[in-house]
Amino acid sequence: MRLSGFLVATLVIAGAATPVGAYLKLGTPVDGRVVDVTWRAPVRYFVSEADAAGVSAGDLRGAVSRATATWQAVPSATVRFEFQGMTSASPGAVDGRTTFGFEDRPELDRVLGATSFLFDTTDGAIIEADVFFNARFGWSVSAQGTPGRVDLESVALHELGHLLGLSHSALGETELTGTGGRRVIASGAVMFPIAMSAGTIADRVLQADDIAGISDLYPAANQLASTGGLTGRVTKEGRGLFGAHVVALNPETGAMVGNFTLDANGEFAIVRLKPGPYILRVEPLDDAEVDSFFSTPIDVDFRVTYAARMVVAPRGGSSAPIEIKVSPK
Amino acid sequence: MRVLRCLGALVLGCWGAANANAQDAPALRAHRIVLDGGVVWSGGYAIGDTNAQLRSNATGSTPAPFTLFAASSKVDRAPGVSARVGVTLTPSLTIEGGGTFGMPRVGFSISQDAEAGARTIEGEQLAQYFFDAAVVWHLPMRLGPRVRPFVVGGGGYLRQLHEERTLVETGQIYYGGVGARYWIRGGSGTARSLGFRGDVRANLRRGGIDFENKVRVFPTLAIDIFLSL
Repeated sequence: MRLSGFLVATLVIAGAATPVGAYLKLGTPVDGRVVDVTWRAPVRYFVSEADAAGVSAGDLRGAVSRATATWQAVPSATVRFEFQGMTSASPGAVDGRTTFGFEDRPELDRVLGATSFLFDTTDGAIIEADVFFNARFGWSVSAQGTPGRVDLESVALHELGHLLGLSHSALGETELTGTGGRRVIASGAVMFPIAMSAGTIADRVLQADDIAGISDLYPAANQLASTGGLTGRVTKEGRGLFGAHVVALNPETGAMVGNFTLDANGEFAIVRLKPGPYILRVEPLDDAEVDSFFSTPIDVDFRVTYAARMVVAPRGGSSAPIEIKVSPK
Repeated sequence: MRVLRCLGALVLGCWGAANANAQDAPALRAHRIVLDGGVVWSGGYAIGDTNAQLRSNATGSTPAPFTLFAASSKVDRAPGVSARVGVTLTPSLTIEGGGTFGMPRVGFSISQDAEAGARTIEGEQLAQYFFDAAVVWHLPMRLGPRVRPFVVGGGGYLRQLHEERTLVETGQIYYGGVGARYWIRGGSGTARSLGFRGDVRANLRRGGIDFENKVRVFPTLAIDIFLSL
């Protein structure tokens, strides 16, 4: 180990989010290329003994346990969690332990929870990750949800996605609120950066976009051979477009998976898809704060555009690159 | 029952007229090979509607999903070429097998996109192969000195290859139709005969590219040149 890196990913209730280092997946540069930030062994975790108003540490342990089971149940991925016990330590302490817990963070008045990482910058292996849930919010662990309270299991599922190496998904629609924040109208991924309204439990269920992401990071044994990918390039006035959101719709299943163009050439790749034809829609990132996804400016001045044809994700491979030309608004 | 009796009398009348005309209707000779080749026009058909839906954040136990956009897909009408080989079991009955090749486009139309107007997208071009077997029965009647109608029914294997040639969709097509042969030469006992054949068919397609896995119905029109050896 040469040096350790530190990342923070958050789920916000509205408005600004802490910048994160990458997009669909968390990554770190190693020898001139970006490698995934992932666990190389089962995630052994502790739960802090601190309670929050109306929710005990035992309730938190139960919610985290259910959320870990949801991620472990994805058949196309191999992730493992092992509960190690309760701890008096707080999340955030650099102690070699992965810890979940409540913390009262009144200064983060729009942040429901956040995940911090300690990882080896020579290979991207995660050493420790801590998740805090902001105790200033009213939490619920009710099976049906509680009106006006944030569902702890839903937020734990989102933060566990970060803990596993996923970043935010842009698959969602929002509207601006009078206070300068954003309200979710609809969401297509647990990893969307803005939470659903308090009282809902919809985010306890992983969506196709989440499953594709985790299957990309931790593919099950047969995943490479049994899934396919889409590749291409988004251009505007003949030049590559950085930061365009590309959504692939499977017309047979209705499943949607998104990713971004991630370089100056405007190239994108959407992988771990069920083989078959897909409709591709390119849109500017205008439903969440750009800094929830990118640490550098991106171009959002273009119209929603569809690829000129369906693109086939072949079994065990990727499509030939397709160019999607967008025009300014 | 008066209406039914009248209808029965009409059918019997037609059958009698057909029998009378069949005596001098042109015909293929029995136990001969018949070669057919020509062009086929296939009608378009829908292959499924899909809504790209997100989970709504609206209140209620089961809020309606939010539609990001809706897509309606179809296989466009397209020409093709066909070749067939048949054997005449009797002057009226032929069994035949053959293949058809076409390159229809799979297009789709987009609607209900709040950020983009409705649009139709031309789509990709399939390489489509259809291998089939059929029975052709020439009706005991004629439509003129050189024309004889027939009915045809058959089915076969459909193979559709996507444009990038990385995915094959397979299915079956069953069809029934009516048509007629027009003899340019032969048709009255000579060993070889030559002419045109045309038919229209109603096709039931199962499998192949389809986003709802439904049976689809579409028409075809075929014009061939035939040669009876």
